[in-house]
Amino acid sequence: MIEEVFRVNLPVEEQLTLKRNRFSPIDRDAAGQKRISIVTGIHGDEIEGQYVCFLLAKWLNENPDKIHGIIDIYPAMNPMGVDSITRGFPFYDVDLNRVFPGSTTDFLPAQVANGIVQAVKGSDYAIDIHASNIFLKELPQVRISRSNADELVPLAKKIGIDFIWVHDAVTVLESTFSHTMNTLGTKTLVVEMGVGMRITKAYGQNLSEGILNMMSQVGIINRPLTPQGKTSISTLNSQVHFINSPSAGVFIPSLEHNVIVSKGEKLGEIINPLLGEVKDVLLSPCDGLLFTIREYPVVYEGSLIARILEDRKEI
Amino acid sequence: MKEEILFEIASLSREPLRVKGFRFGQKDSTPSCVIVGPIAGNGINQLWIASRLVNFLRQKELENPSLFKGEILIIPTVNPYSFNMSKAFWPMDNTDIDVMFPGYEQGETTQRIAARLFEKTNNFDYALLLEARKDHSECIPYVKVLDTGDDSAEEARDFGLDFIHSRKPTTHDTVSLSYNWKIWNAKSFTLVSGKKGSLDKGDSRKVFDAIIRFLCKKEIINLPIFECSKGNIITNENIEVIKSGTAGLFDSLVPVGEHVIHGQPIARVYHSLDGSLLQTIIAPCDGIISCRYDYPLIFQNAIAFRIIRLESKI
Repeated sequence: MIEEVFRVNLPVEEQLTLKRNRFSPIDRDAAGQKRISIVTGIHGDEIEGQYVCFLLAKWLNENPDKIHGIIDIYPAMNPMGVDSITRGFPFYDVDLNRVFPGSTTDFLPAQVANGIVQAVKGSDYAIDIHASNIFLKELPQVRISRSNADELVPLAKKIGIDFIWVHDAVTVLESTFSHTMNTLGTKTLVVEMGVGMRITKAYGQNLSEGILNMMSQVGIINRPLTPQGKTSISTLNSQVHFINSPSAGVFIPSLEHNVIVSKGEKLGEIINPLLGEVKDVLLSPCDGLLFTIREYPVVYEGSLIARILEDRKEI
Repeated sequence: MKEEILFEIASLSREPLRVKGFRFGQKDSTPSCVIVGPIAGNGINQLWIASRLVNFLRQKELENPSLFKGEILIIPTVNPYSFNMSKAFWPMDNTDIDVMFPGYEQGETTQRIAARLFEKTNNFDYALLLEARKDHSECIPYVKVLDTGDDSAEEARDFGLDFIHSRKPTTHDTVSLSYNWKIWNAKSFTLVSGKKGSLDKGDSRKVFDAIIRFLCKKEIINLPIFECSKGNIITNENIEVIKSGTAGLFDSLVPVGEHVIHGQPIARVYHSLDGSLLQTIIAPCDGIISCRYDYPLIFQNAIAFRIIRLESKI
């Protein structure tokens, strides 16, 4: 059932609405059942989640008798952003995922954030699906702040995603959707995968299967588990290496995404097209999994080129 | 005056990003003050103020170097790239440098800019940041002080501006330049004024005068000054937020800084297609318009005005 959870007038003949598709059991009272919210599109240029929402809604449409709980699908939390390839909240140019929990008395992005929180509040679980931005390509991963690791890592493992990254929280991340919802008691996972402005079909298919598996395991749907092709990786005792560009130029990668690299192996070059010179050669600082690689070639000093997960012993 | 390139960031096709500083007085003399102009590339008022300060102090130093008792470093802007493209944030990835502090020298480009700026500015007694409001509003000139339990709000009276807005830091503030200055023991103040992307020489002059007054009061420079307002310290409790109940064409009836009375019409909102009057926004209290929405099209529930209540005990 399509439901509207937020509506506000825009200045010229239009209304901004947030919609969800709610799936409820057909043969039992929904009250008291577990509830999950699938959220995406907070960043308007991250489209990967659209395909996941489609695949989930399609399966739920086709299997109404297997629904035991409530599944809410929110494909576009920043509708104007999604429809205009705009990462932030248009007009205000702010990152919607930095104004949570929002407020009814603050500017429009904060009101939208508040509307999202009020709609999702009460869910047992939430999954916030992001793509990377346009600059980086990411292996599908769940990111969890260390303070929530004990509670959320077991839940993330039920998705069977390629990689679980437990990281040290930055204070500013307290203004994100996931932090707000975890604080309110909704176990919320943040998924990052693919690249901005694109859909990676295989990633979407794997994640939607993983989410269905997870929903099965917590009793929201009744479906046999399907095998997941890849193994989850924890960073609890591992180290993520960041490789930043030492200079400005154009990055030419030497490796594909999602490969095991050896210490000293060449990741790519920073070139100068005007001079026809290689400015820097980037080498892997460790053995490990190349789970992030730069997608957009132009770089400044400091631009992130790659991330490598060291220590494969836990795989 | 000594003109310095504080640091550079190279670019693929453009001239390097050069962040320049203008130093007055003797290096490392005290008391010392750093003044940082706009971090966002649309703070035209703030760029104007900073550049006028450089020009004024250069003249005064040429006339009589002994007027300078302490050290002053002015950094008119951190972000020439964005100014030159009419963008607010970092041109490559639209990140806001003012959420990157204290910065990270091994991190992303804007983290490195923040780290280098912070390293050059974190050892002054006083640290002033010039800022336009980040939301869509124009405002009266005021001093913003993050209340971390010290006496900065009282000390802000030395600017002589009418209002000092003291508020508790939010999580968002913890990655801002002004907050990080403060936790590194500088007395940190943010001077907010005007409307982003525009130049109001009148209000900018008030901020300019306030900074000169502050530098004199702190005995960093020695110039004759006029005394001015003793300053009203306000908190969010003293501010009435007035939202537009509807969306449409926004016709403000009052300028910022105007005294209004309870019941006074302060704006009208018209239907953007048929021109019918949708709402007359009424002042809910006596007070001063401190902020006003700055765009002729307004969203439903957008904040149209902020009024500092006159009846509140300040």
